Amino acid sequence: MKVLVTGAGGFLGVRTVERLIAHGYVDIRCFLRDPSKTTALKRVSQSCPSAQLEYCYGNLRSKADCVNAVEGAALVIHLAAGLKGSPAELVADSVVASRNLLEAIDARPSPPIQQTRIVLVSSFGVYGVASLARGARITEKTPLETHPELRDAYSYSKLRQEQLFWEHQQNTGFELVVLRPGVIYGPGGGTFSNRVGLQIGPVFAFLGGNNVLPLSHVANCAEAIVVAGTHPDTAGQIFNVHDDDLPTTAKYLHEYKRRVRKIRSIRLPYFVTQTLATMLEAYHRRSQGQLPAVLTRYKAAAAWAGNKFDNAKLRSTGWRQLVSTADGMAETFRSLRLTVTMK
Amino acid sequence: MIQTMSLKIAIIGCGKIADAHVEEIRKIPSAQLVAVCDLEPIMAEQLSVRYAVPRWYSNFTRMLDEQKPDVVHITTPPHSHLALVRQAVAAGCHIFLEKPVAPHYEDVRNLLAAAGAADRKLTVNYWPNFEDPALKLRRLVDSGTIGDVVHLESFYGYDLAGEYGMALRRDAHHWVHRLPGKLFQNVLDHVLNKIALYLPDDNPSIHAVAYRGDSRHQEHEGSRLLDELRVIIQGEHATAYATFSAHARPIGHSLRVLGTLNTANVDFMMRTVTLDRKQNFPSALGRLLPPFLVAKDYFRQGLGNVNRFSHARFHYFHGMRRLLTEFYDCIENNSAPPIANQEILRVSAMMEAIFQQVYPEVLA
Repeated sequence: MKVLVTGAGGFLGVRTVERLIAHGYVDIRCFLRDPSKTTALKRVSQSCPSAQLEYCYGNLRSKADCVNAVEGAALVIHLAAGLKGSPAELVADSVVASRNLLEAIDARPSPPIQQTRIVLVSSFGVYGVASLARGARITEKTPLETHPELRDAYSYSKLRQEQLFWEHQQNTGFELVVLRPGVIYGPGGGTFSNRVGLQIGPVFAFLGGNNVLPLSHVANCAEAIVVAGTHPDTAGQIFNVHDDDLPTTAKYLHEYKRRVRKIRSIRLPYFVTQTLATMLEAYHRRSQGQLPAVLTRYKAAAAWAGNKFDNAKLRSTGWRQLVSTADGMAETFRSLRLTVTMK
Repeated sequence: MIQTMSLKIAIIGCGKIADAHVEEIRKIPSAQLVAVCDLEPIMAEQLSVRYAVPRWYSNFTRMLDEQKPDVVHITTPPHSHLALVRQAVAAGCHIFLEKPVAPHYEDVRNLLAAAGAADRKLTVNYWPNFEDPALKLRRLVDSGTIGDVVHLESFYGYDLAGEYGMALRRDAHHWVHRLPGKLFQNVLDHVLNKIALYLPDDNPSIHAVAYRGDSRHQEHEGSRLLDELRVIIQGEHATAYATFSAHARPIGHSLRVLGTLNTANVDFMMRTVTLDRKQNFPSALGRLLPPFLVAKDYFRQGLGNVNRFSHARFHYFHGMRRLLTEFYDCIENNSAPPIANQEILRVSAMMEAIFQQVYPEVLA
C-alpha cells in the first residue's frame, strides 16, 4: 500500500515515517516543502534498506503540487499544518492546503476517495475548554470550541481544518481518523508549551502551577498516529493523544531548570493570572489594541484552568507508550542543554 | 445634534495585511466595515469570523452589487490592482490601495487615470509618511528649520526570517516572486515615498546596485532572492541614497535629511526626530556640548512618546489610521486626497528605473 505523509520532513513527520516502517509500511511518499529537510528522512531510510521512500517536494497551497502528492496513495497521513506566522498564513497553510489536498484526492482516478483512509493530526486546541469548569477532564467527547475568535489563530486554523475534513468525509465517504495530540515534545522540538507559561522579556511567567501537562513524546505520538490511524476499526473515530505518566507543569519547569539552564521565573497563581488578564483585556479595549491581548480571561481559562486528561480510548487501539516520560524528558533536556551550550 | 455620515467600507483581499486594515478601520467612528472578499472563500471566511465582519464574499462583483460600499480597500497582490480599481470605480467606489501599487509604471498611470475619469478618490497606503515623526519632519522643512534640502538618506531594514519574509521564502509560488522588482518591489514604496516628498524631480538620474547578501549571515538558506539594494538618486537641486538591507542589524527604518541649515534624523522604529544643529560654541566646547544637546532632544522625544502611549496614540499602524481618517474626510468633503497622484507616480517611476537596472532580464 502506498502511504503519503505530508509534512514528512518536520519534527513529527520524520518519527511518523520511522514508525510506519517499524509497522511494516515500506512504500512511503514523503511530501516536504523544504528539500533541505530530507536529510533526516534519508538517515531513516538507510537504517531500513527494505523501505522505499519517495521524496516529493512542493507546497500544499498549490493545487498542482497536491495532484503530484496524492497519486496512488491509499493511506494519507496529513501532518502538514501552519505552526507559526500571521493568522492568514496559518489558515492558508492548514485550511486552504487541506482543502486542496482533499480535492486532489477526490479528483484522482485511482484509488477512489472512498477506498482511501486519511489520518488527520489535529490538536487539543480545538476543544472548547474555556467554558468548562476548572479541572474538567478532557475526553474525545468534550465539545469543540465555539468561539475560536476569542482564542489564538492557531486554534482557529486547526478547528476549521478539522471541520473541513469532517464535511468532506460526509460528502465523499472516505475513511477518516482524527488524532488530537496534546503537547508534542522531544529532541528537536520546542522548549515550553504555553501551558507551562509565557516568556515576557527576560522573565518567564510560570502560569501552569500544578496543572497536569499533557505531554506526548514525539515517538509516542508517531506511534499513536500509525497504530490508531491504521487500525481496521478506527474509521470515523477521534483520539486524544498523550502519554500515560504525565508530569505537572511545575515538575517540567523544575527539571528544565535543573538539567538545561537556570531561568528567572515568577509563579503566578490562577486567580492572579485571571486578574492580570482582566486588566490587560480592559486596557486592550480602552487603548484600541495598543498592547496586544496576549492574555485574556478566555485564553487563560483555555490554557491554565487545570484540566485533567484521558487517553483510555487511544490505549484501546493497542497503542503503548514507547518512551517513558522520565526518559523522554531526560532526552529532550539533554538536547536542549546541547543547544544552549552551543549558543 | 450633528449627524456624521458613516462610510460603508469593504475589503478585497484577505491576506496578512488585511488584518491591519480591519483593525484601523474599526477605530474610525465615521467608517463601517460591511464586508470582506477574497477569491479564496476560506480566506474571506477566516477574516470575517476573526473580526466579526458582517458579511464575506468570494465574488467581488457580488459584493459590490449587494453591499454598494462607498470605499473599497484593495489588499490583493498588485497584479490584480488595475482590474479591481477599474471595476470598483465603475461601481462608484473610492479606493484605498495597498502598496505595491502595481507591477509596472504604466499600470500605475492607468489605475490613477481610471479613478480620475470616474471622479473617484484614490490613495495608496503610504502610512509611515503619516506617522508623527514624518509629520514633524514636514513641519521642520516647511518652517525652514532645515533650510533647503541638499541630500536625503532613506534606510529600510528587512527581516527575511520574520512573518512577511518567511511567507515569501517558504512559498515558491508567492506573488512577490512574480513582481518585476521581486522582494524590493514589495517594500520599496516605503523607502522611496519619503524621498519623493522632498525631491520633486519627475525624472531624476538613478543608479542602482543589487546583490545577494553574504550567505554566512543568512539565518535561513534556500532563498535565491537578491536582498541588498543601494540606490543613488540625483535631482536638479538635491540628491538621495536609498538603502534596502536584509542583513544589517538592528533592523532599522530611518530617514536623514541634510539641509543647508540643519540636518534632521528621523527614526521610524523609535519614533523620534532629532536635529543635528549648526554649532556656535567656541573651540573644544563645540565638540563637548553637542552630545548633551542631542541627549536632551532624545529625552524630550521619549517623553513625547510616553505621552502618546498614555493617550493610546502609539499603535504600530497609527499612521495608517491618520491616513485613513484624512482619506475618508476627503471623500466626505470632496477635497483633494491626502497623497497627490504626482507623488505616487514619482515613486512608481523611480521604482521602475531601479528594477530596469537590477532585474533587466525581467523587464526586457
